[in-house]
Amino acid sequence: MAETINPTERLQEAFGNAIADVSQVQGIPRFRLDKETLPLVAHFVHTHPDLRGSLSLLWAVDHRPREARYELCYLFTLVEQKDWLLLCTDLHGDDRLFRSITPHIHAAKWYEREIRDLFGLIAQGHPDLRRLVRHEHWPKGTHPLKKDFHWDTVLERHQGQHVFRRIEGEGVFEVPVGPIHAGIIEPGHFRFSVAGEPIMQLELHHFWKHRGVEKLFERQRLTTGLSLAERVSGDTTVGHSLAYCQAVEALLGLEVPRRARYLRSLFLELERLHNHLGDVGAICNDTAYALAHAHCSRMKERIMQLNDRLTGSRFLRGVNQIGGAGCDLTAGQLSGLLEETAAIERDFSELESVIFANASLTDRLEATGVLKERTAWDHAVMGLVGRASGIDRDLRRDRPFAAYDEVPVKVALYRYGDVRARLRVRMDEIHESVRLIGEIRRLIPQGPIAVEPAGLPAAGSWALSAVEGWRGEILYVVMAGEEGRIHRCKVRDPSFVNWPAIQWAVLGNIIPDFPLINKSFNLSYAGNDL
Amino acid sequence: MFRIIKKSLKTGVVTGQHPEAGPAEQPVASEARKNAAPFRRSLAVREVDTGSCNACEMEMNALMNPVYDGERFGLHVAASPRHADALVVTGPVTVNMERALKDVYRATPDPKLVIALGDCAVNCGVFKGSYAVTGPVERHIPVDVRIPGCPPRPAEILAALEELRGRLDKTAG
Ligand code: SF4
Repeated sequence: MAETINPTERLQEAFGNAIADVSQVQGIPRFRLDKETLPLVAHFVHTHPDLRGSLSLLWAVDHRPREARYELCYLFTLVEQKDWLLLCTDLHGDDRLFRSITPHIHAAKWYEREIRDLFGLIAQGHPDLRRLVRHEHWPKGTHPLKKDFHWDTVLERHQGQHVFRRIEGEGVFEVPVGPIHAGIIEPGHFRFSVAGEPIMQLELHHFWKHRGVEKLFERQRLTTGLSLAERVSGDTTVGHSLAYCQAVEALLGLEVPRRARYLRSLFLELERLHNHLGDVGAICNDTAYALAHAHCSRMKERIMQLNDRLTGSRFLRGVNQIGGAGCDLTAGQLSGLLEETAAIERDFSELESVIFANASLTDRLEATGVLKERTAWDHAVMGLVGRASGIDRDLRRDRPFAAYDEVPVKVALYRYGDVRARLRVRMDEIHESVRLIGEIRRLIPQGPIAVEPAGLPAAGSWALSAVEGWRGEILYVVMAGEEGRIHRCKVRDPSFVNWPAIQWAVLGNIIPDFPLINKSFNLSYAGNDL
Repeated sequence: MFRIIKKSLKTGVVTGQHPEAGPAEQPVASEARKNAAPFRRSLAVREVDTGSCNACEMEMNALMNPVYDGERFGLHVAASPRHADALVVTGPVTVNMERALKDVYRATPDPKLVIALGDCAVNCGVFKGSYAVTGPVERHIPVDVRIPGCPPRPAEILAALEELRGRLDKTAG
């Protein structure tokens, strides 16, 4: 980039009179548009070579009872500047229709289906308007996030069958898998169409675990939603609770003490460590290499026990609280922690050389489940899966939060996009996390670890927060309601974005390699289904 | 090859290197113990997730790692309910998973045990009352043992399973 072009000016230049209003929320430029021009502007942001906006989040808000309107918000991440840009539009009164952007921006596909299911707003021109969250047996007209839908409604059962896309032809057959799988794993359904060995098409049918998390948030106060956030996706307890805390802190105008920010980074890295260690082993296990699996699960267990000793929870529950950290570590604990993680890293390095010396393992991993950079970009894939496909994005570097502005991160990046690349990203990040923990321990300042939340935000104000969890970008949008209640809480786990991309990564591979490919993505079902 | 042997020798035995489980929150009913009698030596479990946050499964998974090594107590993870003696159910039962749970229960041959693992499975935990949740596991299928906790630690799960199968009492046959 020679000179940076201000995206606001770019848009105003191109769409001047169509833009009703430009404002800033938390430093994010926000453009208010009428619903007819929004798709044009979105397309422009997505494709213009100076902007190259990738759709990061698309969410709807029901503003009743205060105002009779629905609002749709489109958040883009501009690739070059790493900045955010927000487009908003309103649907007034009884209006239920808006124009789909999916024909131009693939990444919007699930978001628009989700909005249709949860709000009853219909994206006209969407290529696939089957139900997503509400399975076919849900009664018609149940849209749980509408304000007049009660959180504890007892749903009736209806007849209905999900219709899968079908390929027909000689020798083509379908293989259904799930929702109950063979291992100890969450429920999901995969429908393969194969001709002989190679997979011609895979269709996902998820949301079996839909628990109504976003609606449950609306029953909470800003200060009490934390335990729910910790339970959105159990393996990402720190990531989700941190994202929630940051959003609420932005709303309440709280300044988190520096020591707490360091602790938050520390716990986030510990969470990354135990998950990555587990995954490296599990990927090897899916090639029937049980030795690496045994070693990795042993190391993972060591970290979990360490977590338990330090915080009283193997999953680091309760380490975040609104206004700071929920537990402190003494100098002795910190140096013990450093010693232990360093020992685990040495242990892991030895295992790494064993893994790399195994030619038959490499043979299985190489060129398996390739997610091309172009496909990854089209679907706005992010996180470690994105970084294995050449998408150079990491919020810890791009939009530093917690203590990452003072403890910079080296981002692992690979281009092949195959299972091996995803394994390599994890391995690099394990070493990087251990290094970061060392840095944090060296630089951590003394001081208080939390401030008390006080005051109430104005009803209708909202905040957006983003955390690079171990899987990728976790986004929370929290909007305040009356008297410190939550009016809307949009939760976005990276899994929601990366799941559809699996459908492309498996093409041409054989079904026996699917578990391996799926494992190398290791996406959350709970965080996806909400 | 030498590298692998060296690594194994250096690592040594890690089995059993974990903190002891605390006292159980819910003792196992004698009724359940009677039902578990046929599985004293070997218990094949099928894990069924009906809407958990996944932490409970991770602890179930940890039970099979070299540290807890559930296999040494005759625990196996079965790939299909048809091969299972016991179902371990985690999570509140969601509207979308209700049918699958009942199908799994029907597919599991008798005699069988049902173990509700974690607060969600026992009483829906933080998801209680939600429109998308139909109630705890016992609303849909009979439950023999409840292991509360959010999530229960692997050592606690192991202890509960041992108690269920009457294996803690070393003198009994
Ligand atoms: S009991 Fe707790 S850990 Fe287990 S599934 Fe429920 S929320 Fe997750």
